[in-house]
Amino acid sequence: MRGSRKTDSPVIPGPKSAGRRAFLKGSAVAGAGIAAASTGLLAKVNEGRAADGEPIPIGQGAMLSGWAAPDGIEFDRGQKMAIEEINAWGGILGRPLEQRVVDTKEGGPDLVIQAFRRLIDRDNVHAIMCGYNLATLEAEYDPIADAGIVYLHCNTSLAHHGWIQRDADRYFGCFMSDPSEYWYGGGYVQFLSALRDSGKWTPHNNKIAIVNGAQNYSIVIGNSVKENAPAYGFEINYEETVNIPISEWGPTLAKIRNDPPGAICITHYAPADLANFMLQFIPSPTPSLVYMQYGPSLAQFREIGKEAVEGVLYATVIAHLHDEIGQDFVRRYTEKWGAGSSPASGVQTYDQTHLWAISAAIAGGPGEPYDGEEQNRKVADWMRRLSYRGICGSYRFTENAGTHYPAQTNDPSLGLPHQFLQVQDYTQAPVLIAPEPYGVADFVLPPWLG
Amino acid sequence: METLIQVIVSGLTLGAMYAVGTIGLSLVWAALGMLNMAHGVLLAIGGYVSYTLATLWGLPPFLGLLASIVAGAIMGAALYYASVRRLNRHPAFEMNVIIATFGLSVAGENAILKIFGGYPYAQPFKAEGGFRLGGVHVPWHNLLIVGVAAVIMLVIAMVLSRTYTGRAIRATAQDREAARLMGVRVGAVFAQVLAIGGALAGLSGVLLSSITTLSPQVGFDPMLKAFIICVIAGLGNVAGALYMAFALGFFEAVIQFVIGVRFALPLMLLLVIVALIWRPYGVFGREDVSRL
Repeated sequence: MRGSRKTDSPVIPGPKSAGRRAFLKGSAVAGAGIAAASTGLLAKVNEGRAADGEPIPIGQGAMLSGWAAPDGIEFDRGQKMAIEEINAWGGILGRPLEQRVVDTKEGGPDLVIQAFRRLIDRDNVHAIMCGYNLATLEAEYDPIADAGIVYLHCNTSLAHHGWIQRDADRYFGCFMSDPSEYWYGGGYVQFLSALRDSGKWTPHNNKIAIVNGAQNYSIVIGNSVKENAPAYGFEINYEETVNIPISEWGPTLAKIRNDPPGAICITHYAPADLANFMLQFIPSPTPSLVYMQYGPSLAQFREIGKEAVEGVLYATVIAHLHDEIGQDFVRRYTEKWGAGSSPASGVQTYDQTHLWAISAAIAGGPGEPYDGEEQNRKVADWMRRLSYRGICGSYRFTENAGTHYPAQTNDPSLGLPHQFLQVQDYTQAPVLIAPEPYGVADFVLPPWLG
Repeated sequence: METLIQVIVSGLTLGAMYAVGTIGLSLVWAALGMLNMAHGVLLAIGGYVSYTLATLWGLPPFLGLLASIVAGAIMGAALYYASVRRLNRHPAFEMNVIIATFGLSVAGENAILKIFGGYPYAQPFKAEGGFRLGGVHVPWHNLLIVGVAAVIMLVIAMVLSRTYTGRAIRATAQDREAARLMGVRVGAVFAQVLAIGGALAGLSGVLLSSITTLSPQVGFDPMLKAFIICVIAGLGNVAGALYMAFALGFFEAVIQFVIGVRFALPLMLLLVIVALIWRPYGVFGREDVSRL
């Protein structure tokens, strides 16, 4: 299965393309300009100083072991790469950044809190950037608030908004740099509907089978699919929840095969488990479009599943775009970390570190934990004030969280796009098929439906 | 009918996975009265040896499998000479050895993490393809695991019943002091059993990681299940543990299909509690334990 270049890809309903080519051309120029402005801004604020001052320690709690390690390793790499670049531009006002990393293993509030306290109390970090940590329950927000430092994560959690709504002043430094998982469910159903309406996919029936992982993230998405499906003419015919790890999918597949749905939506996101699903699905497939949550963005999914994963759709709200800026990042990232690395994950901490560094430099530098809260509040204010065009799209914070395009803004230049991608060739990275104006390839019917 | 076949195939697959993961642990427990908490890391070492030889050194995967058996045996023997031999002299051996092997397990897992990193890999040793049975796809690899479990069971039974080494192991299991007085070199028996257990763990590690993926924690879940199986079967009953592995595999597959996937482990644990209330020494166990 090989993809074709995009001609008229389906979109999530929202803004229609008014000259997509013109927009992309414009945004590439603007993007390059903004990226240049960002680096130029940092260089300007640094006034040509070399990064030879007193180092500023910044931290990361990453799941470097355990089943989420493929992501954790990339989060570590992304931050390392950003720090090298920032230091090459003079650090923050002449002070180089130094990374401190603690392994949060399988995640969870106990391990994450321990890791954060070590970073703050032992390593004296001035800020913490993470990709995601599993099931933290936002327990790390209090140590951050106590220390008065800035923390960026991509936990993609609706619960973040609750904390900020309850006490925005205390949690001034807690930023979720992407939108919450809530938007995935509605976006998925809208995407299916648009695909059906475009005639590029004729569903076997209007049924959707949902297979959730046993974490809040997956369950919120599954519930959102259930909530939105009827409005678009779909019904849920099967719902299952699975634990991590799961390698034997036989009983789940038997139930799906008993009443084959038009679409299968798997919100469980462990890449090895998802690849095993496809390996066991393909020998006796149902006429269903298969969507999986996030996991296929990792190279490991394709390494394990090989041809069996071709045709799988997935979505993410936090990955590099496939435009000029994104492709340049992918090239630099894979040159540095190897062809088997996953820039789609590493970009999370890469963008966070750049965004924080620029804000900190404009604010006059970051403050130390416990004693530097006033200074860190200035940094956080600048983060909220800037609309930063990163590799994943534009970071513009609403309740200290990234803004979803197209659900929270209809301006693609002011949000992080809900990206739909498809694995069309397992030897290559997945291709971005929606939303407008970022899609670069057409949807292709999976081999088992073709 | 198709559904029934699918559930049977899944049960057989899960049972075979549990069986190969359990044999080494059960044998060591039966022969030496020792709960080897390093069993999980021995599984992981087996998987990584095979991966290294086949992927990084380019050797045929079959040689990788053989090397993982040898490596497991060496690690098992090393476990005896580095730790168990000294602990064996102490009256609180059974408790001390649990703590010691747990410590070695943590150290081993971190050593693997340091050398290979946490990134999971696909295990190159795998029987590709499969056949259809009543509309259900049955992978050859799953049958291979079932076959390997059966062969190991037979070989272990033959070694224990028909060889001098087997008699020495049984004598040591029944009464260590009496065996020593009868001229059995109990230390050598310990080393042999741990080497055999390590070899089985090495082999199991390759087979299990070829169904799941290879990571430093690959042995944790199989070891947890193996522990449950050994307890419910009756401590020190190798054959009983293998029967129970398949019984629990089928139980899990049926629960997953009938009630739901997420209920399988809690109900399995509930079954263990009920079984132990009904038979406190395990389904196949006896109060007056005659191991092996």
